[in-house]
Amino acid sequence: MTFLSDYPITWDMDCQGGGERPGVLLERLIGALGSDAVKTAPEDLAVYSFDAYTDGGSPTAVVLPASTQEVSAIVKIARDCGEPIVARGAGTGLCGGAVPIVGGITLSFARMNRILELDLRNRRARVQAGLINADLSRRVAPSGLFYAPDPSSQQISTIGGNIATNAGGPHCLSYGTTVNHVVGLEVVDDRGEVFSTHLDDTGYDLTAALVGSEGTLGVVTSAWLRLMALPETVRVCVAAFGDIDSASEAVSAIIAAGILPTALEMMDAVITATVEAAFHAGYPTDAGAVLLVEYAGLTEDADAAQAAIHAIAMRHGATSWKSARSEAERAALWAGRKGAAGATGRIAPNYYTQDVCVPRTKLPQALCAVQRAASENGVTVGNVFHAGDGNLHPLLMYDRRDRKQVAAVVDTGNAILHSAIELGGTISGEHGIGWEKRDAMTRVYSTADLATMGRVRDVFDPARMLNPEKIFPSGARCPEVTPQ
Amino acid sequence: MKALEGRVAPASAQELSEILACCDSAGEKVTIVGGDTLSGMGLPPQRADVTLLTTALNGVVRNERADCTMSALAGTPLQSIATLLATQSQFVPIDAPQARSATLGGTLAAGWLGPRRHLYGRPRDYVIGSTVVLADGTVARAGGMVVKNVAGYDMSRLYVGSFGTLGVLAQANLKTMPLPPQARMFFAPLPEHTRARACVQIAALAIAPAAALWIDGFRAAIGGDDGAEGRIAVLLEGSAPALERATRDVRSALGRAGVPDTFVVDAGARQSFERIVDAYVASLGERSITYRVLKPVQDPETSAVAVKELARHFGLRFESIADVMNGDLLLRISASDSRRLGAKLENFDDALHDLEPRAQVVACAHPHRTNLQVWGAPPDALEKMRALKARFDPNNTLNPGRFIGGI
Ligand SMILES: Cc1cc2nc3c(=O)[nH]c(=O)nc-3n(C[C@H](O)[C@H](O)[C@H](O)COP(=O)(O)OP(=O)(O)OC[C@H]3O[C@@H](n4cnc5c(N)ncnc54)[C@H](O)[C@@H]3O)c2cc1C
Repeated sequence: MTFLSDYPITWDMDCQGGGERPGVLLERLIGALGSDAVKTAPEDLAVYSFDAYTDGGSPTAVVLPASTQEVSAIVKIARDCGEPIVARGAGTGLCGGAVPIVGGITLSFARMNRILELDLRNRRARVQAGLINADLSRRVAPSGLFYAPDPSSQQISTIGGNIATNAGGPHCLSYGTTVNHVVGLEVVDDRGEVFSTHLDDTGYDLTAALVGSEGTLGVVTSAWLRLMALPETVRVCVAAFGDIDSASEAVSAIIAAGILPTALEMMDAVITATVEAAFHAGYPTDAGAVLLVEYAGLTEDADAAQAAIHAIAMRHGATSWKSARSEAERAALWAGRKGAAGATGRIAPNYYTQDVCVPRTKLPQALCAVQRAASENGVTVGNVFHAGDGNLHPLLMYDRRDRKQVAAVVDTGNAILHSAIELGGTISGEHGIGWEKRDAMTRVYSTADLATMGRVRDVFDPARMLNPEKIFPSGARCPEVTPQ
Repeated sequence: MKALEGRVAPASAQELSEILACCDSAGEKVTIVGGDTLSGMGLPPQRADVTLLTTALNGVVRNERADCTMSALAGTPLQSIATLLATQSQFVPIDAPQARSATLGGTLAAGWLGPRRHLYGRPRDYVIGSTVVLADGTVARAGGMVVKNVAGYDMSRLYVGSFGTLGVLAQANLKTMPLPPQARMFFAPLPEHTRARACVQIAALAIAPAAALWIDGFRAAIGGDDGAEGRIAVLLEGSAPALERATRDVRSALGRAGVPDTFVVDAGARQSFERIVDAYVASLGERSITYRVLKPVQDPETSAVAVKELARHFGLRFESIADVMNGDLLLRISASDSRRLGAKLENFDDALHDLEPRAQVVACAHPHRTNLQVWGAPPDALEKMRALKARFDPNNTLNPGRFIGGI
């Protein structure tokens, strides 16, 4: 883990394409899109120099295309001028993925936010990349359908950003992450040419290669997404535990028993206290940890699953159990869960979210390691995470104006990464590698593994113009520029 | 290293790596063979100097029951994985034909798609990690043993469906699912006037069946009497109460469509489902060819009837399986002997592709196979695919010409 502010960003001139001066670039962009779609004022650029991770470099220009053709024109101009392209959705990414590290053009999808086609019979929707995630489910709900991937940021994050990061969310436990719901993509490549992918096509599964590639293989302009039928019954229950250990033992036991809830989320005492203060969502505040369990499906199955989960929770020392009685109670519990990170503003001015994933039976050890790392470094930690997937999100609270606290958070984050790897886990379950974790890639992959991924990059972006300095470790930079 | 010849069967990723590196530098072309159940898909490799059998790469390497994950070597037969998982009430919904011989690696490499995918997802969505050996001998791992992982590109999914043309799968890590406690199979003959309505009703059921297939023909392979007009097979999976309700729903849906009789199979429901899946690639030797059309739900049974007309026009025998839930279509065309099929095959193939541009060959032993539009319409991104092949296997060592567009 690195904080941008800790590293002076130096741009190696050898890696930069030649090209024309910014004046020409802007002139051409304005010529192609009109002046209101091209932003260069310092106050505008400042907005685009950070995402939800932290701040970074400023782009040379921000453009707001309204169509695939305009995206294509922008990429062609950028290429001629030797400027890199950073695609940007809502900027809620947590790993610096949308931050322009070496300047260049930030391509904002704010104006490409429409649903283009609804094929209700086949349960598919074609949407533009800038569509806000929650807008899709809202739109198709009257037809009894929904779009399953639901990152907690879904009220603002975009489908394009979700696709680029293969976003997860509480309900991915049974529905799968974004990649399971993308049927096809329309993409602008590094040369500005448009191509499409579709799961029914013969040939390599380029959809799979592009989802989760964080804007380094192409710019996604629209996508065909799979919609699902709304379940007939939804049960939401909250189990309270004396401590986080017994709650995580219960999670492992539920999974091992072959029960597949639609969501299995955990919050520790630090988080429930802030969530309750902010939202009055209905969580017990005297518990060491709570589990939010959702089961959706047939009524008959929901009864049985709820009884089985209840029994397991009790066997693992649950101190209380309640089940939401109304849609309003359910919604309140979920709003509290999804707003948890934001609510930590009550504890400290800043928080850093770590994102690691471990085999599910390793949850108790992983959480122990989190607590140990935090207390050794004197950092306040709150845990709110996708327990059923083994996907931890320790929130480390700090004040970024205090360098000592920043250093303590960096050390804690690294220790957590380290312990997740030791437990057979990975360095990111759903937030991505971006700029933040690229150097940690060497801790889970060999040089050969990374070079193999590099071959894919060589095909789609030989000049490393698409979101440069992301995913691949810094050392791998210049030699990679040579295309085959 | 001395060039190899004939058949080799490495027993580890390391051995596999040595063999491939050796062949690649000697310019030898390598054909990869698993259980040989899906070799009828696509084209035969243009040249095969060395036949690489994956069958010695056999065995479950890790079985993390409580984590719901496992890892097996690529040559492991899917049936043995299924048997092991069933003992712990788990499964991986791959739906491979001839699962006794079909290997994990071969079935994944062929991108096999089964009838239950609309409910459980595609096989690729169960692959959480992989070890692949590239043509130059590079051993590359991706993913891991966790169910969510976004560290780097999703290489494992990219290898699924690549027909061994990017690299040879040595091992795959899978996510498992709780095995539905019960299964029930329905068979019902569908008189012509009931067909369209029955299919629409079944597709719209509130409790989605695990599979629903309208079958015309395949009597020897699948069994079941269907009169002249085909029958529907509906597989239900779930808890006992769910099955009870779904059973009532299926019966009344078929009743509303005017279907006279339904037959229920409880004991052996899954086995009878497996027999249908086996039929997907069941060949009648040189006198048959089987096509598959993958496309979204759009009255697959209507498309089947249209192709049947075409086959009749050519004087060819026609059988089909229309997947009511996923929309894809399986078509087996045959004649009384190889010569008669061969006389009409190329013209039929052209006419079929006018009707169904995406039709792909999935089983064919006829020598004219190489003259057909075996892969159907090329994808939009074919040039990117060719570039990937060139970057992963620059000497065109692995399964040359096996895949679409000469890849
Ligand atoms: C409070 C909060 C809660 C969150 N909860 C979750 C959660 O539950 N699960 C989860 O997975 N994440 C979560 N996140 C992280 C974040 O919301 C996701 O990563 C989300 O997918 C980012 O979407 P975005 O539109 O904000 O993308 P951005 O942050 O703008 O961009 C993210 C990455 O996608 C690339 N990109 C964006 N659009 C395109 C495009 N059209 N084509 C190609 N590349 C593109 C960018 O270059 C960048 O690399 C959370 C974040 C916050 C702040």
